[in-house]
Amino acid sequence: MMQIKPILAALKRHKAGTVLIALQIALTLAIVCNALFIIRQRTEHLSRPTGLTESNLLAVSNRWVGADGKATESLTETDLAALRQQAGVADATMINSYPLRGGGWSLGADTKPSDKDNVRRPTAQTTLYFTDEHALSTMGLKLVGGRNFRPEEVRWVDPRDFETNVPVIVSQALATKLYPDGHALGKPVYLSSTKPATIIGIVERLQVPWTGNWAANFAENSVLLPFLLQGNFGNYLVRTRPGEMARMTKAVPALLFKTNRMRVIPEERGVRTFAEVREQAYKSDRGMAILMGVVCAVLLAITAAGIVGLTSFWVGQRRKQIGVRRALGATRHDILSYFLTENLLIGAGGVIVGAALAIGMNLWLVSHFEMERLSLAYVAVGVIALLLLGQGAVLAPAMKASRVPPVEATRSV
Amino acid sequence: MLKMTHLSKVYRTEVVETYALRDFNIDVKEGEFVAVTGPSGSGKTTFLTIAGLLETFTGGHYHLDGIEVSQLNDNARSKIRNEKIGFIFQAFNLIPDLNVYDNVEVPLRYRGMKGAERKQRIMDALERVGLASRAKHYPAELSGGQQQRVAIARALAGSPRLLLADEPTGNLDTQMARGVMELLEEIHREGATIVMVTHDPELAARAQRNVHIIDGQVVDLSEEPRFHAQNARVADA
Amino acid sequence: MFAYYFQLGLRSLRRNPLLTALMVMAIGFGVAASMITYSVFRATANNPIPQKSDQLYAVQIANWKPQDLEGELRPALTYTDAMAFIRAHKARRQTALYPIAPSVIPADAHRLPITADSYAWYGDAFAMFDIPFLYGGAWSQAQDDAHASVAVIGRELNDKLFNGIDSVGKTINLDGHDYRITGVIDDWDPQPLYFDPVNTGGFGDPIDLFIPFTRAIDLQMPTAGNNNCNTDPGNGWDNWLRSECIWIEYWAELPTTADADAYKRYLTGYAAEQQRAGRFKWAPNVALRDVTDWLDFNKVVPPESKISLLVSLGFLLICLVNTIGLLLAKFMRRAPEIGVRRALGASRREVYMQFLIEAATVGLAGGVLGLVLTGLGMLSVGWVFDEQIARLATLDVSLVTLTVVVAVAATVMAAFYPTWRAAQVQPAWQLKSN
Repeated sequence: MMQIKPILAALKRHKAGTVLIALQIALTLAIVCNALFIIRQRTEHLSRPTGLTESNLLAVSNRWVGADGKATESLTETDLAALRQQAGVADATMINSYPLRGGGWSLGADTKPSDKDNVRRPTAQTTLYFTDEHALSTMGLKLVGGRNFRPEEVRWVDPRDFETNVPVIVSQALATKLYPDGHALGKPVYLSSTKPATIIGIVERLQVPWTGNWAANFAENSVLLPFLLQGNFGNYLVRTRPGEMARMTKAVPALLFKTNRMRVIPEERGVRTFAEVREQAYKSDRGMAILMGVVCAVLLAITAAGIVGLTSFWVGQRRKQIGVRRALGATRHDILSYFLTENLLIGAGGVIVGAALAIGMNLWLVSHFEMERLSLAYVAVGVIALLLLGQGAVLAPAMKASRVPPVEATRSV
Repeated sequence: MLKMTHLSKVYRTEVVETYALRDFNIDVKEGEFVAVTGPSGSGKTTFLTIAGLLETFTGGHYHLDGIEVSQLNDNARSKIRNEKIGFIFQAFNLIPDLNVYDNVEVPLRYRGMKGAERKQRIMDALERVGLASRAKHYPAELSGGQQQRVAIARALAGSPRLLLADEPTGNLDTQMARGVMELLEEIHREGATIVMVTHDPELAARAQRNVHIIDGQVVDLSEEPRFHAQNARVADA
Repeated sequence: MFAYYFQLGLRSLRRNPLLTALMVMAIGFGVAASMITYSVFRATANNPIPQKSDQLYAVQIANWKPQDLEGELRPALTYTDAMAFIRAHKARRQTALYPIAPSVIPADAHRLPITADSYAWYGDAFAMFDIPFLYGGAWSQAQDDAHASVAVIGRELNDKLFNGIDSVGKTINLDGHDYRITGVIDDWDPQPLYFDPVNTGGFGDPIDLFIPFTRAIDLQMPTAGNNNCNTDPGNGWDNWLRSECIWIEYWAELPTTADADAYKRYLTGYAAEQQRAGRFKWAPNVALRDVTDWLDFNKVVPPESKISLLVSLGFLLICLVNTIGLLLAKFMRRAPEIGVRRALGASRREVYMQFLIEAATVGLAGGVLGLVLTGLGMLSVGWVFDEQIARLATLDVSLVTLTVVVAVAATVMAAFYPTWRAAQVQPAWQLKSN
């Protein structure tokens, strides 16, 4: 380390190269930190559980043709009965939406009646799932308190015309939000209404249909209502018996068309296993993470290659000088550590600027996109990674330098 | 052909000012073969770089082929170098990436010469130095003597009025050196003006005239065999 | 001289294969990343109707109290307001529109019903949006007023239902109701779907079917898109139509800025009237946005597109910094050659020329690699972006040209400093180095 002063003096004579390497390290640090952070943001909810037992679950979207409103009640009941009788099907239910589907109902939930003009903010935002007593077993939800709906509690309603003063099942997250003391069972919940619903059951976990950041603060606030919605559009969830999934993926739509052919099950996304639902819901998140990962990897490789290239050039330029040093008694190790220290100094300059750039870039992203603040841990990891990368990259040319024979000093050109 | 009067060249660093040439006077006539000798550090290489317009000078005058060159810009100087001067370096200075033919072609390219004429001149020049058969070879595949002959061919190809040689045999063994020297003499006989820097007295003796430089000043042995001892000092700032 | 330098450049590429490969790869990767993300950005930031985008205006009006608006006008209208604007007829052409999802029942009883992407709107819309017809044309204003059972279908649907023949005058059955076809639309696929970014997110399949707005309301066809209410609309269809729920988009064609100004005055007057009538308890707050403004307001360019474009540009920048360093090394390693060339009569200008052209050849090689990588990248755009967006990103002639131009221009720019350094090499260097 006593070589620092002469190294600094030497660097002053190679300003351009020094600045270029430092600049490259700085920019790489800034981009890699932010890219890694985006990767984490995108991947952290990839593995978020929905609360459903996702294996052996099939989602079917159905649109009736030539029937709407009240007329769809009996058609749907026929469908559900047929599905539940089908060999290979464990249970089936109808629901307006389901986790990761991307569309559904959301409104405010409160422990007090909501006033007509909505001046007060509700305690919590929640999603509503309209379904029946088969929902728990079909979806594979875990009831942690209270009970399931009774068949007689379930009724058909017009989606534009119903009151929510009924028994409901809520997710644990919502129950805790509404009643932090943990005693939500039997208590009222007002769903943007002046009439209360009563909490009769609590499920351990149930995610909302949306995965976007805007729904992040109520991602697990859900209410199950014992209503089946009239209308020409609905979703069936079908739990197959183990090992029957592949067969049921074809058998279920065939059965439905056999039951009644005046319907549309879209070719795309009409029948999906829940694994497909999950994959499609997180497709862009996963893609973005992969893209950022590739960018980071290529970026680090290019930066390393740049350091190797420039350092090799310097070594070539200084062969004679190195020879002279060797002739004057420098050991191979001295030469090696000279170049490693030189790179460390440049790297240090680069990461200082880079850390500032990384934070600045993140602040800009925060102000323009739905993005969180960069954790300093990422910067720290990035700094260490780039310094190590620099040392690694400089090793080969430095080794080459250390092998310059002392006789080089006597060569004229 | 080449006339320097009261010419000086000063190298400045932050600390000192060093006179490489001081009140330097020389006059080389058209068609002369002049050998410039002197000890290491006497300023003979500086003289050659200034004579070849490779460097500017600090004071005095320099007329090359009747033109006062001190006021010329970089472009004009490049043009003169290209058209009037041929260089032969001690280290040959062939471009390693280019083969013999392409090396000789370089100055002709800068002159903007047509392809056919270029080819004619290159082949003539190579013929002259006896290397026409090696046109496609790269410098690394040639011996030192052959490389220097290529360098001479490159200098000749442009038919320069003035040939400047810096220790042209310095990197060659005796036999090769003799061959190169004979070639230079032949070129001189055909009318070229040659100024050759050397510290080999045997070589110098073969020139028409010897100029000796000591401490940045000329001691013309053939015309003024006096020793300007009073000026033989390196001046400092 | 250009050919000579280009030749020298090519030769030099072969000389330090490793250094050259590094530079070519850096440029290739940098340019490819930028081009791939740019192609997506270009598609999403596209102006779908450039010839008229400044004459078509989406209408907004504040029918909710300021706290419900959360700072911004909502992108949709109530039925009440949309109908008032239609009746006033203050624009050259106008339409209210909303997406519907009827099922098409084929005449052949053996074929299954299909859902067509459909809109309910006014006959004016076809001319407003410059929609080309293959057969027939739009329905008339009289048919709008008569709530006629007519329809315009897309070419693809026409192929499916009528095997591509001229189906004008034939009927199509939607949810059990017959509609007479007045026209078949030729290929028409504006992306983004500017007339309804609210419900499509901006991108989607071409629209196949249109019926009169007035007819859809008669049949109580609900919106297949968003419906937002700040208060309970009450029960039933008529209450919904009368409510403050917003679910309709409204477009006006206003050929000149004077027309737009006049229309804005009309809207402000209308809002003031509603305020006087007691419906609005706040000052008039209206907006007219032309197509580009509207797409911007609805944030049609997905954040993924912008972020990845930015990251790629940063990536390209780093690649260029890298290239500056490597070119510097490559050029300075050849200082002896530069000295010799200078001594042999090359002017500085010629040194500049030689090295910039050499850099350009490096850039060209990088561009070719970039092109290959861009082509490969296009295949995987679907990983990151919605397939409706991914299908719009294509490697067309302009992108190919741009890739090569950017690669060469960027490399030449990166070469400025190294070349300047190269041109500073003194011709005397040769003699002094001995």
